[in-house]
Amino acid sequence: MMRSRNSLYLILSTACFSGYLWLFWVLWFGHASAEVCIIKHVTDIPCPSCGTTRSVMALLQGDFMMAASLNPLGFIIIIIMIVVPTGLIIDCLWGKSYLFFAYQKSEHLLKKPYVAVPVIAGMLINWIWNIMKAI
Amino acid sequence: MTNGKFFESHHLMQIREKLLQVDDSKWSIIQTLQFKDPTTSLIISLLGGSLGIDRFIIGDTGLGVGKLLTCGGLGIWTIVDWFLIMPATRELNLTTLQQVLYV
Repeated sequence: MMRSRNSLYLILSTACFSGYLWLFWVLWFGHASAEVCIIKHVTDIPCPSCGTTRSVMALLQGDFMMAASLNPLGFIIIIIMIVVPTGLIIDCLWGKSYLFFAYQKSEHLLKKPYVAVPVIAGMLINWIWNIMKAI
Repeated sequence: MTNGKFFESHHLMQIREKLLQVDDSKWSIIQTLQFKDPTTSLIISLLGGSLGIDRFIIGDTGLGVGKLLTCGGLGIWTIVDWFLIMPATRELNLTTLQQVLYV
């Protein structure tokens, strides 16, 4: 979908800010659970990304095995949470559009069937695993 | 104006004027354009918003992935999108039409 550079950066910075705020909230109060997940509340079945916060917390403590067993999506989240703010800062300081082009390229790539099918399959496997673990 | 529901009301007059000006050779392409129904997006958003399916449907893959990875933005983004998805769909339809009209 076509979106201007500035509106994308606004959305990304809001998302990153909320993400870090949530992480600090959890670190401060010391509990991370699936309280916020609508699917979990309504159906009592975990969603594909339930357990990601706990996974990120485990990664922050250097426990990679624990993070992978909780939810492997935590690795993707932590990469995004490092790369996106860095890109935002670089682009805002030097007035470039590296992150914007990278976003558009990855969006374009994700729509290709040879990328989309394995990603969806992986997501479904992760979801089934999540349900089996009753996370 | 049978396609009126696919666009924002304040864009309709502008679209009408542009359609009157446009060359006849483009008419067949314009008639075959497929628009997304905002009501369908809303239903999808209500049912599968937490998984980001509504965003994927309107071609907004990046934000769809964002919603999927964060339990629908901790549930908040899901609720916000119940209200934003219809304007977003209409905006997408306008972009689709503009790609034909202004090329």
